[in-house]
Amino acid sequence: MKEKIKTFLDSDLLESYLLGATSPEETLQVERYLSMYPKVRETYEELQDNLETYAKMHAVKAPEALKERILNSINKESNFKRNFYRMAVAASFAVLISAGASYFFWDKNQSLQEENSIVNNKIDDLEETMRAQLEDVRNQFIVLQNPETKKYTVKGNKKAQELKAVAYINPVKRLSYINVSKLPHLPKDQCYQMWTEVNGEMLNLGIIKEASSQEKLLALPYADDAVSYITIEPQGGNPSPTVENIVANIAY
Amino acid sequence: MSTLLEKHIVELLQERDEKAISLLYEHYGDTLLGVANKVVRNEELAQDVLQESFIKIWKKSDSYDSSKAKLFTWLFRITRNTAIDKLRSVNTKSDKEIQIDVSDVYNLGVNSTRPEFMDVRENLEKIETKYQIVLDALFFEGMTQQEASDELNIPLGTIKSRLKIGLRELKKIYGPTLLLVLSLNLIS
Repeated sequence: MKEKIKTFLDSDLLESYLLGATSPEETLQVERYLSMYPKVRETYEELQDNLETYAKMHAVKAPEALKERILNSINKESNFKRNFYRMAVAASFAVLISAGASYFFWDKNQSLQEENSIVNNKIDDLEETMRAQLEDVRNQFIVLQNPETKKYTVKGNKKAQELKAVAYINPVKRLSYINVSKLPHLPKDQCYQMWTEVNGEMLNLGIIKEASSQEKLLALPYADDAVSYITIEPQGGNPSPTVENIVANIAY
Repeated sequence: MSTLLEKHIVELLQERDEKAISLLYEHYGDTLLGVANKVVRNEELAQDVLQESFIKIWKKSDSYDSSKAKLFTWLFRITRNTAIDKLRSVNTKSDKEIQIDVSDVYNLGVNSTRPEFMDVRENLEKIETKYQIVLDALFFEGMTQQEASDELNIPLGTIKSRLKIGLRELKKIYGPTLLLVLSLNLIS
């Protein structure tokens, strides 16, 4: 053990370490010896004292002006650092806020695009509906003002004597409409349903709603020698007409 | 005694208090300038080195570990290394810029004739030149004993014995005086 310490002390490693001239591996080795062997530690302390003593022998008066210069540059250094940190913090916040804003606007943009496509679809639907309604109105107009149009007054039979309707048939344009102007009141569980017999088959034209039926023309499918019927059916309509419940028929 | 001052300075350094630098300059400035001067052998350059060293000391203050080295040792290492770097950069930059006096004779300079250094210098004179040479080689030039032996053309055994005697002389001279100097430093 003593031999090992002696070899170490003879190696100059401790002296190099003292001056800060050892490699990282050497530093580790020296520090290990220092922590393990009091003799090495003692030599090191002595070397440190000697170094300080010897260095003091070579002291040169350090000018006061140099001290001021050093303090100034250190002051500047710390100010710069402080400012740098302040700027860094501010910059980080700015980045964070801008990232947040970017996400917010992106999200907003995304939902606006969605909304936009919904609105576009609605406009398309409306256009489609408008076109259909306009077409219907034009057809109504053609039928109503056309000299070829024949007007039939329809009256209900015994089952619905108050029923009044007007049918407009134009054989030239092959269009027909009916305006049901008055319908006798029905119990809640019953409704009026409209039918047309075309080529021997009964076509369901739908339920006539009492409230909305007035002043409204209902398009009938046109066929030569067609007959339309109005029947009383259970509430909700019937897939096929109940013949005994026919309240009116329109032949044209 | 010195450890009390050391402790105080180290605490200030760790608190990033600029007063630490003032205290360091007052108590170690002269010695460290001497170290720089010893390496670069030019007073003006040595002052630059001292300034750079103090800035490094300030920046690295949290790296000081009192369990690994005395405060002075740490300060010395930084100053010496800065001086060596300076010398290298000056030498590579231009030889004309600064004339480096390579003589082994130490130039006292105008500033160094102040009375408080006189007894220290007298003590230095008490150490024979042949011991000073090996002590210089060890402390300032950072030569290994083998390198010193090659450089100075002195057998390794002689270097070893001279170093031993030199260090002993140093202890003899400085045992009491060092304490005196340090107490004076504390009082002032």
